[in-house]
Amino acid sequence: MKKTDCKFSRQPGVECIIHSLGSDEMIAQRLAQMGILPGARLHIVRLAPLGTTIEVSVDGGQSFAMRNSELVALECEIVAIPLTAVDGPPHTTYRIHRLAGGRTFRHRMEARGIEPGCFIKILDQTGSPIRVQRLDQEEIVKLGRGEANKIIVKVTGG
Amino acid sequence: MVEHVEEIVVALSSIPNTGKTTLFNRLTGSSQTTGNWPGVSVKKKVGHFPLGEYKISLVDLPGAYALSPVTEEEKVVRAYFLKTPPAIVLNIIDARNIYRCLGQTLQMSMSGLPMVVAVNMMDENSQLDIPCLSTHLGVPVVPISARSGRGIPELKQTLYRVIEDPERTHIPHISCPPILEAVSRALSEKIIPGGPLAKMNANFLAMRLLEEKTLPQSIRNTGMENCIKKWRSQVEKSTGEAIAITCAKCRFNAARGLVLEATHQKPPPPDENSQRIDHILLHRWVGLPLFLLIMLLLFQVIYGLGAPLQNFVGQGFDAAEAWLRVQPLVSRQSDLLQSFLFDGFWQGLGVVTAFFPIIALFFICMSLVEASGYMARAAFLMDNLMHRLGLDGKAFINLLLGFGCNVPAIMGTRILSSHHHRVITMLLVPFSLCTARLQVFVFLTTILFSAAVAPWILFAFYLGSFIAIIVIGLFLKIIRMAGKSEPFIMEIPPYRMPTFNNVWLRTWRQLKDFLCQAAPLIVAGVIVVWFLTYFPADVPAAGAESWAGQLGQFFSPLFHPLGIHWQEIVALLFGFIAKEIVVGALAVIYGGGDLSNQIIQHISPLQGLSFMVFTLFYTPCVATIAAIRIESGSWTVTLYSFFLGLAVAWVASLLLYQSGLILGFS
Repeated sequence: MKKTDCKFSRQPGVECIIHSLGSDEMIAQRLAQMGILPGARLHIVRLAPLGTTIEVSVDGGQSFAMRNSELVALECEIVAIPLTAVDGPPHTTYRIHRLAGGRTFRHRMEARGIEPGCFIKILDQTGSPIRVQRLDQEEIVKLGRGEANKIIVKVTGG
Repeated sequence: MVEHVEEIVVALSSIPNTGKTTLFNRLTGSSQTTGNWPGVSVKKKVGHFPLGEYKISLVDLPGAYALSPVTEEEKVVRAYFLKTPPAIVLNIIDARNIYRCLGQTLQMSMSGLPMVVAVNMMDENSQLDIPCLSTHLGVPVVPISARSGRGIPELKQTLYRVIEDPERTHIPHISCPPILEAVSRALSEKIIPGGPLAKMNANFLAMRLLEEKTLPQSIRNTGMENCIKKWRSQVEKSTGEAIAITCAKCRFNAARGLVLEATHQKPPPPDENSQRIDHILLHRWVGLPLFLLIMLLLFQVIYGLGAPLQNFVGQGFDAAEAWLRVQPLVSRQSDLLQSFLFDGFWQGLGVVTAFFPIIALFFICMSLVEASGYMARAAFLMDNLMHRLGLDGKAFINLLLGFGCNVPAIMGTRILSSHHHRVITMLLVPFSLCTARLQVFVFLTTILFSAAVAPWILFAFYLGSFIAIIVIGLFLKIIRMAGKSEPFIMEIPPYRMPTFNNVWLRTWRQLKDFLCQAAPLIVAGVIVVWFLTYFPADVPAAGAESWAGQLGQFFSPLFHPLGIHWQEIVALLFGFIAKEIVVGALAVIYGGGDLSNQIIQHISPLQGLSFMVFTLFYTPCVATIAAIRIESGSWTVTLYSFFLGLAVAWVASLLLYQSGLILGFS
């Protein structure tokens, strides 16, 4: 698996797993005392309107605000990213990890066959709408950018 | 037989956002006292309640994540535990997310002090296995709901049982890397805890010594110090990280196991309502405008409602004064005593009471914002801007509300998360243009400038006030006035409905603090000004021969480059009581007649501007100084604020007046 720094991950929807608390001792000690330890899974929930401050949630529960400078001190590995952020060649297959929207959004996506666990192939990522195809279905699904932002796919790498 | 009432000290400890304050208020009601922890700006709250034949004194410790300190609050908690260990520790954990709380609980539990754990918000996650938690922690565990009061009688009974029989049966063991265990065991055999530490577990004390970089005085320069240092570096070399971090990892590994044991069902999902509200309130584009709207609303509620109430109180005071003056008992006294009573003491009391409505409204609003959970969101929204001044987002609210009145804004710095932020904010708030100063500016600008220009001048003053805060903030950041800032990692708690009890007690406490601690300082300050203007007794008050007048003339060479005459210096001296008095003082000093004409005769527009700039920045009013003193707990910070204001005012006025003269204005 590709090791990636959290510094490329300042995008809502990204999920990463902490590998090490980094070399800044103050930050590392603070995080450790809050129970944020290597192995914890961080979700980037949102960025503050003026940037640099980021809301993350840890292991799908408690939310924290931290600054970019604290986040880049960590070494983490990105495990899931929004569909719009994938950078593989065309026709790469991804597994859907999570639908990051509200209930209405989830129902709408599931009605179109986009649900957590299924594999999708991205046919055209650059334009709008983004065209994807579920591996076990013929039908091509067209997604708006806003929708694609809320579809989180696993990083399979390689 | 005399009944013997024993006072038992119980320390209330928890990490932030577990409902500690709610439980504290629930247990102690309004019998609370506040003070400062020694040497820091962190507030100490102690409450009392009876329990059987005992009198419990409940110490509310600040929220801290661990005993190995990172923040000022944690240093306070650590020092408290090691210097004056309480009889019992009452630890709170949050039933919705016990993992994050257990780190501290386990650490406290290892200390060996008698302990009771209260699982709060039990009504939101009722399937926790309480007996299992109790077995593993080795202490009694009581499910409660501090908000509804459920489980509180049981908690009190448990406390009572522990007071009667404080012996701990066992202390949980947390497995650490073998080398660390060996070292801490060896060290625990070498130390002989004495004094207050005697009842603590030796292994726990050994861990404290190993974790902390600064060793206690009693150990320094002994063979022990070298031994500890050697062992510490051995362990750190083998694990590759600081011992504090290794220990935290071990604690949380144990916590994770305990969570699995004590949770038999799926944990409750994260609060969907909070997520939905945050989707709007923290929205990229809508979030900030909504924040500013909420701030505007707060401002209106506090000062829109507060000002009429203030006037009302002021009128009551004047009426009472008029009534008192004609009382035979008073009017028979000498002039000196009468003047002292009314122009000194009574006026001082008037200044104090005038702040009451505003402080009450301010803290009602602030408690609502804080208890609802919006404060953390506001900090998140404004963090980027405030970070540049070395502050965090919460300070923005204080600075903004300081534009109404500096006093509550400084008292409100209590909510800020670190000592560093509190001190910087206290020093910056006095530079905001409060409504008292606004009254002076409105009056003077309308006299000295045409109606078309005056509003622009007012606007420029607001702008100048903002710029001054930014420039001075940057300056304080560069000279590191308040030490290094701490890493910013802040919990964002779920939204909660504030309880009436919490809001009321908080407001009441602030009013009481203001009355007990700030009021004497304010009255003393007003009396000093009265003294300077009244004496010597046989000259007109505040005239050229009075001490204030002499003082003004003495300092007038210093103020000459600013275009400020001695009469205005005396008025500024009056402004120390309350800035809005400046105008009235000018009327007294010029010796009656039409004030507008007097001012036009004596002061040119440029001199007037320079005078107003000085009024804006110079040493804040006596109530603000008193508030800084009680909030910071330090005379150094207070004096610093005093002279910083004078220096900034002098430089700003000098620049304005001299550049005005060069540009050919008069």
